[in-house]
Amino acid sequence: MRHSITGYSTLAPTLIASHLTKTIGKRVIVDDVSFELFPGEVFGFLGPNGAGKTTTIRMLVGLIEPTSGQVTICGHDLVKDFEAAMRCTGCIVENPDLYRFMTGRENLEHFARMLGVRDKEIERVAELVSLAHRLDQRVGTYSLGMRQRLGIAQALLGNPKLLILDEPANGLDPAGIREIRELLRNLAEERAMTVFVSSHLLAEIELMCDRVAIIHRGRILHTGAVRDLISNQRELELRVSDIARATAIANERSIVTRVANDRLLLAMEEEDAPPLLRALIEDGIDVFHVQRKVQTLEERFLEATGGETVG
Amino acid sequence: MLIALIRNETLKILRRRRFAIVIGILAAILMLISYAQHRQLNENRNRNWRAELQQRVAGYQNALRRGRISDSWARTVRAEVTRLQFYIDHDIEPDKPTAPVVVRLVANVSGWLLPLLVAMLGSDIVSAEHAEGTDKLLLTRPVRRWKVLLSKLITLWMFATLTLLAAAILAWLVSIPILPRGGWNAPMFNGFRLSAGTVSVDQVRQLPLWHDALIAYGLQWFALLTVASISLMLSVIFRSSAAAIGTMLASLIGGSILTRVSPDWTAGKYLFVSALPLADYYSGSPPPYEGMSMTFCILLLAGWAAAATAVAFGLFTQRDVFG
Repeated sequence: MRHSITGYSTLAPTLIASHLTKTIGKRVIVDDVSFELFPGEVFGFLGPNGAGKTTTIRMLVGLIEPTSGQVTICGHDLVKDFEAAMRCTGCIVENPDLYRFMTGRENLEHFARMLGVRDKEIERVAELVSLAHRLDQRVGTYSLGMRQRLGIAQALLGNPKLLILDEPANGLDPAGIREIRELLRNLAEERAMTVFVSSHLLAEIELMCDRVAIIHRGRILHTGAVRDLISNQRELELRVSDIARATAIANERSIVTRVANDRLLLAMEEEDAPPLLRALIEDGIDVFHVQRKVQTLEERFLEATGGETVG
Repeated sequence: MLIALIRNETLKILRRRRFAIVIGILAAILMLISYAQHRQLNENRNRNWRAELQQRVAGYQNALRRGRISDSWARTVRAEVTRLQFYIDHDIEPDKPTAPVVVRLVANVSGWLLPLLVAMLGSDIVSAEHAEGTDKLLLTRPVRRWKVLLSKLITLWMFATLTLLAAAILAWLVSIPILPRGGWNAPMFNGFRLSAGTVSVDQVRQLPLWHDALIAYGLQWFALLTVASISLMLSVIFRSSAAAIGTMLASLIGGSILTRVSPDWTAGKYLFVSALPLADYYSGSPPPYEGMSMTFCILLLAGWAAAATAVAFGLFTQRDVFG
C-alpha cells in the first residue's frame, strides 16, 4: 500500500491505529478506524462536527478506552505500556486548556515535572512558539492564540516523536497561523517528527499536510496523499452557447461529460482540447470560456461526505 | 516521581488560593472564640465558680426529676451532671480561660468547622481539573492515572494536617495578646463513661492539659483524614466542585440532624458523621448511639476512608474522559 508520497513508507510507523471502535450504549461513535502515521509527515484529520474526530483523538491518547481495536505508539501498546507510549507523545485535545490561575512558566514547569524534563527545555519550547516574552504572566490574561501557542509549547516538552494537535489554528490570526504552519512543517521535515493535525480549515490542511484522512459518521471514507486527492480528477470547464449540442459532440469523441452551473465539464487533458474546440466552433457553437479546473480539497470533501458542512 | 506530582498538586492548591481562604475563615472564627473567652475571664474575676456550678447541677437535676425530657437527652444531662459534680468534689475550676485552654478547645469547638474546611479543599481537587479541561493534559502525560490520584490524595492529607495545625497555631496567636499564656499543665479530666444509662467516674483520668490536647488533636486529625478521603471520592464521582461540596455539607449537617431526630434508629451509628466528633467523645460528650466505643468509632472511620479511597481509585483509573 502506498502510504506517503514523500517516501517514508520504509520507516516504521510512529502510530498505528488499528480497527478502533467506540460504542456507547447502542450508538457506534467511531467505527473500525485504522490508519498509520510515519515519521516526517504531517497528517491531516478532517471531518464534520460529530463525525467522531475528537473521540478518535481521545482514544489515541488514552483518555477513552476503545470498545475494540488497538493503538500502538512508537512500538508500545497504549494500554499495556501507557507510560512508554505517552513519553513519545505530545498533544492538545480539543482546546488548549491550561491552568489559568498560573503563569505560562508555571504551567510549563508543572508539565515538565511530570515528564522529568529539565528547566532549560522550558526556554527552548517557549522560544519555538515565540511566547518567551509573555511567559511570566498569568494564563488567564492570554488570548486564545497565545494559549494555543502555550499548548503547543507544552506538547513539545520532552521532544516527543509524535505530536497530536486538535485544531491548532483555532484562535490564531493569519500571521500566527502561518507561523505555526511553518513550525509544524519544520518539525516534521527537519526533526522527522510525526504531526497529526485535526482541522476544519480545509485550506489549512491543503497547505500543511502531506496526507489526509476524511472521517464521516465514525468511519474513515478516504485516506491518501493531499496532492493525489486534489489533482487526480482533471476537468476542463467550458461555457458554450448550446450545451446540448456540445455534449453530443463531446460524447461522439467518447469524452465523459457532466453539467454543473450552466457549465459543461469534460473529463480530459488540456492537450486534447484544441481538436474538440475546433469541432465545436466548426459546428457553429460559440465558446466563451475554457478553463482547466482542479478540484479543491473542499469539493472532494463535500463529495465524500455527501455535502455536509465541515466543523 | 511521586514527589514531583505532589509538588504540582501543592502548587495548584496554593495558586487557587483555597488554603488562604481556609486560613482566613479560621482566623476570623478563632478571634471570636478567643474574644469570648477574654470576656468570660473578665466577668469571672469576682465570681464564685463553685456556687455557679452547684446551681447548674441543681437545675439539671430538677429537669431530670420532672422527667419531661427524652431518654437520650436525659443521658446527656446525666453525664454533664456527673462531670460538673466531679469538679465541685475535687475543688477544680473547670475551663478557666487561658491561651492553652483556647488551643485545647479548638479541637472540639471546631469539630464541624474543620471537616467543612477540609471538604472545601478536597471537593475540587479532581473536579476543578475536569471543569477547567486540564484533566486532558494531566492524564495524557507519561504517568499512570493511579499515581496522579495518589498524589492528589497525599496532598489533600497534607493540607488536612496543615489545616489542623493552622487552627492550633492561630488559636494560640489570637489568644496570647488577651489571655494568660500559662496553664499547659492545668489538670484535665477525661474518661467519664456512659454505661447502661448511668455515668461512671471510675475511669476518670487526670492529664495535664498539653497531654490531653495532644490526644484530642490526634483524634481530630484522624477524623479529618477520613473527611479528606471521602471528599476526594465525591470529587471524582461528581466532576463538579459544587455537587461534591454540596453532598459533603449535606452529609455533615444531615447526619447530625438525623442523630438528633431519631436517636433510636441505631443503624445511624454506622454513618461516618456519627463517628466524626471523635475529639468530642473523648472529651466527655456522649456519642449519639449505644455501643459507640472509641475503638468502634476509629474502626468505622477507617472503614469509610478505605472504602471511599477504593471507589475513587476504581472510578478514576477506569473512566473514559469525555469533554
